[in-house]
Amino acid sequence: MNFFFRINLIFLVITLTSDTFAQNQIVADLSQENVKISTDFQGAKILLFGAYDGKKGDDIIVIVTGPKGLVTVQKKEKIFGVWVNTKKVNYINTPKYLSISSNRKIEDILNKKTQKISEIGLNNFNIRIQPGIKVENEKQWRQALTRNMLKSNLWSVNENSVSLNKDALFRSFLELPSNVITGQFEVKILHYRNSKLVSQQINSINVSKSGISAEIYGIAQNYSTLYGIFAVFLAILVGWGSNLIFRKV
Amino acid sequence: MYYYSQRNNDETLMYIYLPIAEQPIHSLAILSVGAFLGLIMGLVGVGGGFLLTPIMMFLGIPPPVAVASVANQLVAPSVSGVLSHWKKSNVDFKMGTVLLLGGVVGSSIGVLLFNFLGKIGQLDFVIKSSYVIFLTLIGTLMFSESLRLTLRTRRGKVSRGKLHQHNWLHGLPFKIRFRKSKLYISILLPILIGIVVGILAALMGIGGGFIIVPAMIYLLGMPTSLVVGTSLFQIIFVAANTTILQASQNQTVDIVLATILLLGSVVGVQVGSRFTNILKGEYLRLILSSIIILVSLKLLIDLITVPSDLFSVIISR
Repeated sequence: MNFFFRINLIFLVITLTSDTFAQNQIVADLSQENVKISTDFQGAKILLFGAYDGKKGDDIIVIVTGPKGLVTVQKKEKIFGVWVNTKKVNYINTPKYLSISSNRKIEDILNKKTQKISEIGLNNFNIRIQPGIKVENEKQWRQALTRNMLKSNLWSVNENSVSLNKDALFRSFLELPSNVITGQFEVKILHYRNSKLVSQQINSINVSKSGISAEIYGIAQNYSTLYGIFAVFLAILVGWGSNLIFRKV
Repeated sequence: MYYYSQRNNDETLMYIYLPIAEQPIHSLAILSVGAFLGLIMGLVGVGGGFLLTPIMMFLGIPPPVAVASVANQLVAPSVSGVLSHWKKSNVDFKMGTVLLLGGVVGSSIGVLLFNFLGKIGQLDFVIKSSYVIFLTLIGTLMFSESLRLTLRTRRGKVSRGKLHQHNWLHGLPFKIRFRKSKLYISILLPILIGIVVGILAALMGIGGGFIIVPAMIYLLGMPTSLVVGTSLFQIIFVAANTTILQASQNQTVDIVLATILLLGSVVGVQVGSRFTNILKGEYLRLILSSIIILVSLKLLIDLITVPSDLFSVIISR
């Protein structure tokens, strides 16, 4: 594998230095574009690498966004001495995976306002609350969402994780945790010079279940009653079989 | 290394990805938990589900998946147990059938309730608080009973009472004769017991043995020798019904988790049942009830202490 990556990198450098190469361009590739969740899956680590037409002091920010959908935040309150979920807020179009990586602290690259406008940062990402729900103290709920997503490792901020080399090459490891959600992941690479976006590129990663694990999940979803009957049948068989085996012992 | 290797040491090979729970879990840990619970089941006769489901939750399996998968695994040791009891002619099939009719109705209601609670976001709370209530109750009863028995056998006094007590429950209509159990009682009583146990079984991921066994002895007045075999017989059907309904309604049955658990438990049950005559029942019950009380205390503490974060998230798949 190492060999092929070297070849790839050499090829990239050649492309960059050749005359045909347009200015202010970024070229990136991933060590793995398809992540398969099989029975031994414990998370994946993907190498993102590439070349950019950089100058001294340029910055690279990498944003990986997973599939978006409904995420509910619940709040517990004490009722008769026990803690019970009493309130909830539904966030629609919430990324179920979000990682922000950069070569140095993001606040050193972009000011607060630019971060907000460019939707860079966990709390700047545009996530809508389900229409029709009135929410008091919205900021508190949004912070709770961020805090809990960080705790589950599905969201992350990795400053100083993008390494730059001679203002021409960059690389970064993207980590997908074992509880990652399947679907299409967008990898956005942003190249900044003096806080201004110079160039960008978008790659994608496809995360899917594979092998037995995918088969089982598919059957459980699509033929759910049959799956249940089979599960029971299997249990009866094992119970009966064990009785036969142990009777002789 | 550009590629992240998963197979670089033996430790990682022990992990298996659960397709429905959607997380990896240590396969040996789950196998030994299954074996341990099977051992208790074989030794004491009860105690599969109501300890297994909380342990699964402690290990981080989402409660809905834990409840449904434990119901699935319970089928295996129950089948194995019934076959052994059948051979010794310790099963009242007529009583078992009446009980399971109620049980199937009850577990269907239970799964619907389960669904509803999941929709309003109170499932975790209801599961955990039901466990606290029932485990405390059963643990305390078992503890005091076995303590009394231990003390009594020490003194060397064993008294024998009447076959069973008659109460107002025996005056209900639709009486039917159960020859094997030597009973002539209303059919409504076992059906009602079946329904109640069925609801709890579906909701809590238990076979309901620890509720139905005392109910059969104290409410129905069945002979003790028939109680375990008959309850196991009806548990097969209640657990099977719960599994099929949970699978079709909620897609929460993790067959991989259930299979690892049941492989452990069937071996445990057999080993356990061979030691029942060597180890003293009262001491076993004393130990088991202490475990039950500890588990319910842990659950209770989780419910009453201030959570580290008042907020939590649910990520819909």
